[in-house]
Amino acid sequence: MKFINLLKKELKELINAQMIASLLVVMALLVAMGNMMSSTINEISNTEYKVSLSDRDDTDFTKSLLDQLEKDGSVITLIKTEGDNYSEILKENNLDSIIIIPEGFTDLINKNEKPELITVSRMESAAMMSNISNHTSDVTNLINTYIYKELSKKAGITEEELNYMTSPVNIVENTVVADKSANISVETIMNNVMMKNQILPIVVFILITMVSQTIMNAIANEKIDKTLETLLSAPVSRSSIIGAKMLAAAIVAMLNAAFYMVGFSSFMSKTTNSTNLSSNMDSLKEMAEGASSVGDILSTEAKLSQLGLSLGITDYLLVGLQLFITIMICLSVSIILGALVNDTKSSQTMIMPLLMLAMIPYMISIFADINSLPVVFKTLVYAIPFTHTFSAMSNLMFGHYSLFFGGIIYQIIVLAVCMFFALRLFNSDKILTISLNFGKKDKQKTNSDT
Amino acid sequence: MGNVLEVKELSKKYTKVFAAEKVSFEIGEGEIFALIGPNGAGKTTTIRMIATLLTPTEGDATVAGYSIVKNPSKVRECITYLPDEAGAYKTMKGIEYLKFMGGLFTEDSKKINEFVERAKEINGLGERLNDKIGTYSRGMIRKLLLSRAVMTKPKLAILDEPTSGLDVLNALDIRKTIKRLAREENMSFLLSSHNMLEIEFVSDRVGIISKGHLMVTGRTDELKERYNAPNLEEVFERVVLENEVH
Ligand SMILES: Nc1ncnc2c1ncn2[C@@H]1O[C@H](COP(=O)(O)OP(=O)(O)OP(=O)(O)O)[C@@H](O)[C@H]1O
Ligand SMILES: [Mg+2]
Repeated sequence: MKFINLLKKELKELINAQMIASLLVVMALLVAMGNMMSSTINEISNTEYKVSLSDRDDTDFTKSLLDQLEKDGSVITLIKTEGDNYSEILKENNLDSIIIIPEGFTDLINKNEKPELITVSRMESAAMMSNISNHTSDVTNLINTYIYKELSKKAGITEEELNYMTSPVNIVENTVVADKSANISVETIMNNVMMKNQILPIVVFILITMVSQTIMNAIANEKIDKTLETLLSAPVSRSSIIGAKMLAAAIVAMLNAAFYMVGFSSFMSKTTNSTNLSSNMDSLKEMAEGASSVGDILSTEAKLSQLGLSLGITDYLLVGLQLFITIMICLSVSIILGALVNDTKSSQTMIMPLLMLAMIPYMISIFADINSLPVVFKTLVYAIPFTHTFSAMSNLMFGHYSLFFGGIIYQIIVLAVCMFFALRLFNSDKILTISLNFGKKDKQKTNSDT
Repeated sequence: MGNVLEVKELSKKYTKVFAAEKVSFEIGEGEIFALIGPNGAGKTTTIRMIATLLTPTEGDATVAGYSIVKNPSKVRECITYLPDEAGAYKTMKGIEYLKFMGGLFTEDSKKINEFVERAKEINGLGERLNDKIGTYSRGMIRKLLLSRAVMTKPKLAILDEPTSGLDVLNALDIRKTIKRLAREENMSFLLSSHNMLEIEFVSDRVGIISKGHLMVTGRTDELKERYNAPNLEEVFERVVLENEVH
């Protein structure tokens, strides 16, 4: 069939060694980054705190304090320091952080006054992960707790009484979604849902950019390489020419998206697994402390579905349908953009507006709830057809069906309009004569003068 | 002998000016017709309308009886078009390009192979057909494209400046091929050129076009006689002068 012939040609042009190589590099990077992140996170969630400490008070009290810290698993390196030139102290001992117990610490405690506990940390960057591995604050908390317990003992309060006093009430957290409620905290839901919902927008974003770039180049290159006229004068229908180009672009973009999805999933699962591990340990501790009775504990997953927050087959099909409509919108808009391109340089700037249209809702979907924006912005953001794709998952989850279906209907209208213009462009001679490049006409005129 | 192409008062207007205005001529079976004229005269515009790429502002043309306005898809089955400055897909091998283009004209793989064999014979590229087109010289690409345009034995082959940018020998080669195909296989050709000497050698009849107007058409010897000129260049000069006087 002629269509197959066209499709084969388009696919061959798109799938080349370069594309496969770049995909493999991205995959390798994602896997490597996942491994790196999970090892960092494991290091952070390690309960063995390593700190350097300078005991300038050096009394029996501080000695037993340090003994207790070491018994609890902290690794303490004792260092002798003097004065308050902290940067010098860190530099001399080649340290990133230190805790200093000043002279007279024990005396002040005995007098029921508040002594100072000094910490010094070097800050080298504002990256999230770079400052977390510092255990200083964990150890100062332990010191606080130790002193607190010692003082209680002195006052004749038993450990049991003390435990009760630290947390005298049991907090029972309930969350309501639409008309369903479950015994789970908003925070836990956020942690669970967020991770799952982060992959879809990334994939949607990649899909939108890939699809648009690919089809635009496919059209623009035919114009730039002067092959379009030959193709259009051949006895094949114009719709099968663009049909083949659209299908090829969609196939290649989906292939890419699938690769990225696998890559990101492995990346995410590595990082979330390790964070989940530490949060699970927290909840185990909570249980042991008797904060909640075992009978109440359903798995988080079960509670999510109790709230209707886990998605079923229909939901995934709806998301798939919307993704398909989104791809079609990208294709039809990019066909028009590609027709406007006359040289390689303009093909790169032409894609920018479309990328921005994808970027805005992508960013907003990560950081904010669109409905909480001021009305003007909300309208503007909803006018971008891609917005509805980014918010699809959360709309379905939280039962905002009217928003979801409204979005789909709006997208179908946008698609119909764009497709109408794209087809009209291809079926008329506009595809050859249209251009935003005003310089070309002048060049022809000077040609004819000579 | 019926006419393969009949052009009736074909006009094309770009925004304000007419690039071609009321152009009329016809081409018979096995005939080589050439549109000649300076840069910007409207040759490419006229040719693109006949190749169904541009929609005429006014007028019509029929190829083998099919109207380019009402029935462009039928017209495309009867013609092949070699654009001015055309390119080919650089990442394809020469042979792949021929197969791909052949596949647009028929779905019968036996026929496609016949086309490719014919093209091979005509372009004489031999082993180089197995190389990527990106590695070809300009002359090789032009030969590949020309062989592509005639391999399907169209009723009318439309070639816009078939020898532009080629050296003397390559140009001669291409002219000979065109002439042979017209004589031996009764193919019809519509050519364009601003090289009048070349056209004198290759074409049976010419049409002189300037500023969008087709001034005269006729056999080359006829025209030389009528304008009392030793060659087509001087015929052209006199035609243009004459029309400016009017
Ligand atoms: N897309 C366009 N938009 C506006 N004007 C155009 C366009 N294409 C061509 N023209 C104008 O139409 C006129 C005829 O151009 P055409 O390309 O048909 O000339 P030509 O005879 O083929 O010249 P050449 O020998 O340089 O190829 C020129 O004045 C040209 O500037
Ligand atoms: Mg031209």
